[in-house]
Amino acid sequence: MSERKGMDHVGVLVFSAAGIYAALAIFMGVIPGTVLSKSPALAGVVPLTEAQARGRAVYVGEGCSYCHTQFVRPLAQDHVWGRASVAGDYTYSTPELLGTERTGPDLSNIGARQPSEVWHSIHLYQPRSLVTGSIMPAYSWLFELKDKADPGDVVVNVPPAYAPPGKVVVASRREQDLVAYLISLKQAPLPSPSPAP
Amino acid sequence: MTAAIAHRQLTAESAGEIESVRIFSAFTITATFWLLLTTAVGLLLSFKFTYPDLGAYQMLSFGRLRAIHTNGTFYGWASVALTGLAFYVAARSSGVQLQQRRLAWAALWCYNIAAVAGTITLDLGISNGSQEYREWVWPVAFIFLLAVVLSGIVVVATVMARAGHDIYISNWYTIGAFIFTTILGITAAIPVYQFGLGQVAVQGFYMHNAVGMWFTFLALGMTYYALPKLLNRPIYSYALGVLGFWTNLVFYPIIGAHHYEFSPLPWWFQTLAIVFSVGMLVPVWAGSGNFFLTMKGRWAIIRRSYALPFFFVGILYYFVGSTQGTLEAFRSLQAIWHLTNFTVGHSHLTMYGFITFVTWGGIYGLLPMATGKRPNVLLVGLHFWLAFLGVTIYVIVLSVAGTIQGLTWANGDPFIASVEAAAPFWSARAVSGTMMLLAHVIFAINVWKMTAGPVEPEPVR
Repeated sequence: MSERKGMDHVGVLVFSAAGIYAALAIFMGVIPGTVLSKSPALAGVVPLTEAQARGRAVYVGEGCSYCHTQFVRPLAQDHVWGRASVAGDYTYSTPELLGTERTGPDLSNIGARQPSEVWHSIHLYQPRSLVTGSIMPAYSWLFELKDKADPGDVVVNVPPAYAPPGKVVVASRREQDLVAYLISLKQAPLPSPSPAP
Repeated sequence: MTAAIAHRQLTAESAGEIESVRIFSAFTITATFWLLLTTAVGLLLSFKFTYPDLGAYQMLSFGRLRAIHTNGTFYGWASVALTGLAFYVAARSSGVQLQQRRLAWAALWCYNIAAVAGTITLDLGISNGSQEYREWVWPVAFIFLLAVVLSGIVVVATVMARAGHDIYISNWYTIGAFIFTTILGITAAIPVYQFGLGQVAVQGFYMHNAVGMWFTFLALGMTYYALPKLLNRPIYSYALGVLGFWTNLVFYPIIGAHHYEFSPLPWWFQTLAIVFSVGMLVPVWAGSGNFFLTMKGRWAIIRRSYALPFFFVGILYYFVGSTQGTLEAFRSLQAIWHLTNFTVGHSHLTMYGFITFVTWGGIYGLLPMATGKRPNVLLVGLHFWLAFLGVTIYVIVLSVAGTIQGLTWANGDPFIASVEAAAPFWSARAVSGTMMLLAHVIFAINVWKMTAGPVEPEPVR
């Protein structure tokens, strides 16, 4: 073994490969990660309230970002979703929810586009009651079905064709938190004209 | 006296040999279990695109199951199957028995415990935030990483005990894979430095490296052993293999940001990723070209083999899928294709068309050599054609669907138009997915025949 030299020595192979890759991991992963984690918040981007943060956790747990992005590209076809996203939009967004698929609409600015709690609740209960052709799952498990509403219940008035017969649909705590989070998704205005990328 | 010692050594050797075969078999069997489970999940997901109210339960919902499908196929199926193959290749190419066999068993346990824990936690909605391929929360990720480290020790120990002078090129790739993935996993799983956009940068780095530094290296390493072995001729060029190793190592880690083009990540960072995505053509063409030139002129052997048609398709789709990846990285094309189903087609072309086909080739080619039990030829043929047609249809329909989605967006149509336009293609995808799952059931039967099944007499020739 001692006469083995260069790449035919396991130690040399292991340490050279590990050294090169560790250096690349630092330069392409750790340093960009550390530096960009310190991106200062845009004026108007504020931490979430407790209810909104709980709602964000529901959003994460239900895997919403597999179909909904939260970043607007500087492309003409993305103008419908809002202004192009900037680093300062994400200061308080951990875990990040940018996403890689847009099977459904981008949600960066959904709170401005659709500010109605009622709309969101009906839509979460059964998306097809509001959007024909939608393939979004119906999140019925975020609601309770009751014979009649108790005081303090948030009743969701689902269109009759989709309402459970003889029952009222009541929004759970988790559902209300999720809606609070969705409505909080509003893009803050840029201080100056967006720099062309 | 000397005869007694020789006999005892022989017995110890054959006991070790038997245990090595059992390790190879156990890795393949558990990997096959994950393949069946997670592709059944994938098929259910594909039906939900056409029937969104199908299986409308929280634990069967799209958002929960999608990560179970991707992580399960990555870390339960491909990782475990390729590690089992890496062990066999390390021992055979080094001319010694598998070393540190207890650690190999421990690695198998860790892989499977991680896959079980990861599947359960994801189904309960406990995840690392929908960050693709690292959804498993860090305690689960660390169990998986422990399996990677243990497996790496097994391979390194085996290669260090080798009979010859040279480290065969296969072992460069597989040893590399275990080292890179350990470093990558630690980088990705430690949460303390990743917030907001910083986490996006780490995610881009991670998701591409998990594919490129783990599966690609394991699959290429195994192919460098199995292909010459099955063709009974040396690899066309050893030097191209070495070139592929170093260029993969240097170029791959730089291209991760191409998953976030047009995002708020620094523009130069994205451009760097695009430039090196073009650089990736060097290792891809060096590797696939090397394999094709090794196969050249041996079509008669390939046609008659169980395993070689799988290698042929795997290498072809390595070439096609990775070259497609380079094209997709260009901003002009990414503007249309990014965020559409085109990406899902691409990931199946590479992770299924390349990685899974090559893995099947390795299992059909090498497992019978280890166990002395052969698969059923007719079933191998059925497996091949169902999987080959299945994935080919899958990739074509999703590529078309993705292109249409991107064009409707560029055209300024209402969003729902992109959903309606893709709908027929999603139905076709469910059909191709059904073919793929059927292929996997047939593969599972063959795995049983090659491992636990009865020894069958030699066929009459």
